[in-house]
Amino acid sequence: MELGLAGRTALVTGGGSGIGAAIVLELAAEGCDVAVVDRDGDAAIAMARRVEALGRRGLARAADVSDFALAQAVVAEIADEFGRLDILVCSAGITDDALSWKMDEGQWDRVLDVNLKGAFAYARAAGARMKDARGGRIVNIASINGLRGKFGQANYAASKGGLVALSKTLARELGKFGVTVNVVAPGMVRTAMANKLPAGVIEKALDETVTGTLAEPADCAAAVTFLCSARARHMTGQVLKVDGGQYL
Amino acid sequence: MFKWFGVVNLSPCTRVAAFAEHLRAGKLMASRCTACGQRAFPPRADCERCLSPEFEWLEISGRGRLLTWSRIDAAPAGFEDYAPYVVAVLELVDGGRALAWLGDSLTEDELRIDMELVLTPRLRDDLEEIRVDYLLERPRAQAPRTNGAPPALATTERRNP
Amino acid sequence: MERVGIVGIGHTAFGRRGDASVQELACEAFRGALADAGLERDAIDATVLGSVPEYHKQRSLAGVIQEYLGLAPKPVWLTEAACASGSAAIRTAWLSIRAGEHDVVAVIGCQKMTELATAEILGLMGRVGEVQWESSFGTTFPGYYAMFARRHMHDFGTTRAQLTQVAVKNHHYGAQNPLAMFRKPVTAEKAEGSESVASPLNVYDCCANADGAACVILARESVARTCTKPPVWLAGMGCATASASILHRGSLTGIPSAARAAADAYAMAGVKPERVRVADVHDCFSIAEVMAYEDLGFCARGEGGRYAEERQGWIGGRVPVNVDGGLKAKGHPVGATGVSMTCEIVKQLRGEAGERQVPNADVGLTHNVGGIGQYCFVQVLARND
Repeated sequence: MELGLAGRTALVTGGGSGIGAAIVLELAAEGCDVAVVDRDGDAAIAMARRVEALGRRGLARAADVSDFALAQAVVAEIADEFGRLDILVCSAGITDDALSWKMDEGQWDRVLDVNLKGAFAYARAAGARMKDARGGRIVNIASINGLRGKFGQANYAASKGGLVALSKTLARELGKFGVTVNVVAPGMVRTAMANKLPAGVIEKALDETVTGTLAEPADCAAAVTFLCSARARHMTGQVLKVDGGQYL
Repeated sequence: MFKWFGVVNLSPCTRVAAFAEHLRAGKLMASRCTACGQRAFPPRADCERCLSPEFEWLEISGRGRLLTWSRIDAAPAGFEDYAPYVVAVLELVDGGRALAWLGDSLTEDELRIDMELVLTPRLRDDLEEIRVDYLLERPRAQAPRTNGAPPALATTERRNP
Repeated sequence: MERVGIVGIGHTAFGRRGDASVQELACEAFRGALADAGLERDAIDATVLGSVPEYHKQRSLAGVIQEYLGLAPKPVWLTEAACASGSAAIRTAWLSIRAGEHDVVAVIGCQKMTELATAEILGLMGRVGEVQWESSFGTTFPGYYAMFARRHMHDFGTTRAQLTQVAVKNHHYGAQNPLAMFRKPVTAEKAEGSESVASPLNVYDCCANADGAACVILARESVARTCTKPPVWLAGMGCATASASILHRGSLTGIPSAARAAADAYAMAGVKPERVRVADVHDCFSIAEVMAYEDLGFCARGEGGRYAEERQGWIGGRVPVNVDGGLKAKGHPVGATGVSMTCEIVKQLRGEAGERQVPNADVGLTHNVGGIGQYCFVQVLARND
């Protein structure tokens, strides 16, 4: 399937590892120049090198996505460097689980700041440019837990649910300018973040799927790449679950 | 979708409806009669010279010179919230004229008859609905356009075959 | 070909006529014209109504008025040419007599406008311009004339003070017209200091919407000579059009349809502009009267401002213009206006104009413009045999 992504430019937050890293590689493989933003600067540089190894331009920026002012500057810098910005993928996300009656304010704020405020900060800056250019793609990585709620994840589920509402709003505001905004909502994915979880949690997730499999980061990246492509031009404001039927 | 066109649209049905879609994409189009080549701006479905109903679109620069203007203080129904606003008539270098409001790059006090201005497409970003028109701007203050290939990843671009 | 004369005139007071319906206004004017002509109602062969339908709640007003006046089953029809509907009605009545079809035709111009809010009227009137590419940007009728004024000022050096002189003159004469809406003189200072409507035009550059009716009775020469008063002849009838859109209007400093209609009317009447002793012109806005001086040949192109400044339009000037107060002071019930103009010139040519009588008025002219000049009707009237 010709995706029409050759020569596009993309910015992926949280692109240094996990799902974000898979997205970076997939977009580069489809012909995009990719800027990798990650709080881990070394990881970002490593991914940018892998982009270059695929014959595309790779840029790396170390940034905490919850820094709002920095987000505006980073987007401007990358868009200027590339000369344009076609695609934004907000993949930066963290967890800090606790039962709600034990979750402290800092846990709540930190997860919301990275997962929700961070996505807003980048989408705001990139969306304004895409609006002026009369076209663009924004894909935000949420989670099925943002749709169904999750025991022990009041902060994370709220941030991902908020991300869905944010994305639908952005879709409404930017649609007439040719900018689509969609959400990919993975279930359990085999990443470093998942590997930190107790074994029982992984097993329960596997039991919930109808395929009897857990997603690899590349499965999420495939959905993201499709939503970024010209082929998805008529999809906006949608939540695409990549969960093996974990939350039907 | 010609109902998108104008500050307030009064005539949604027309054979030159695609004009509004071009405006949305940031392009200002004139019509050109395919029979005799006569151009028109504002566009016409039927040639004013030979009355042929066949026409094609032709992008124009929007550059022109100011013929006259007025600041409307007593507004008609539907425009009360906008008053006062300036309506001005531009004579286009590519032929034809346009009547439009002023953009942000100039004020009424700065207007001079015969000054050079540019008719600049606008897709309103202050409204939820789709609404397009054009504004008069100073030549150097045109709205940003995307240059170079490929074109912006838009919802309106043609699909690959 | 037999001439067509005006044998009777009738005219209501113009203004806010909250006391009367539109058919009652029409009846008041018609009754006056019948009495003036010394004719019985049965003598009327047909009626032509000049009116703009959008302002009325009643649809197809012509039939309703014909019935109200007790003129059925005689024919009636409506003519519409925006603010020139009244003169368009006179023209079709004139044509029907010239065609040999009728002997005596009543023309009634009537309009009731004050039932609508000003913003609604501004919207309706603005749409006399081009709706697809102009009205969608909130153009108004004053706005179009303001754009002509701006260009006239730029090209010819016409000044704000010169435009104001039109209002001063027309209010001066309006004060002498018992049927006028505004019967008070205005100082240049007050007029110039009035609120802006559409820059550079302010309130005193603009006529007011009004209610009112006027009626003229036309008769073929053989019948006209049997009526009470000496007929006033429709000696020259000109009629032309120009673009409704300012985007297709070549000159923005004159009304091309007016110049053309005037040339035709002068040619038919066999007179030159300087032969005109009194004129009623379409001063919907001060600049419109200034352009009319030029379009009608009362002065050279570009000299209209000076014509106003030098008071050439006053009694005693080169051609006195709008000595009934014009649209400006008399009020502008759009369908009635053209008929009202003809009534005034008939009065002047008969010597019945009282304190505002122009001496030796034997040839007069009316100039009635519809829209921003998409229609123009010019009549040359003469009392001589």
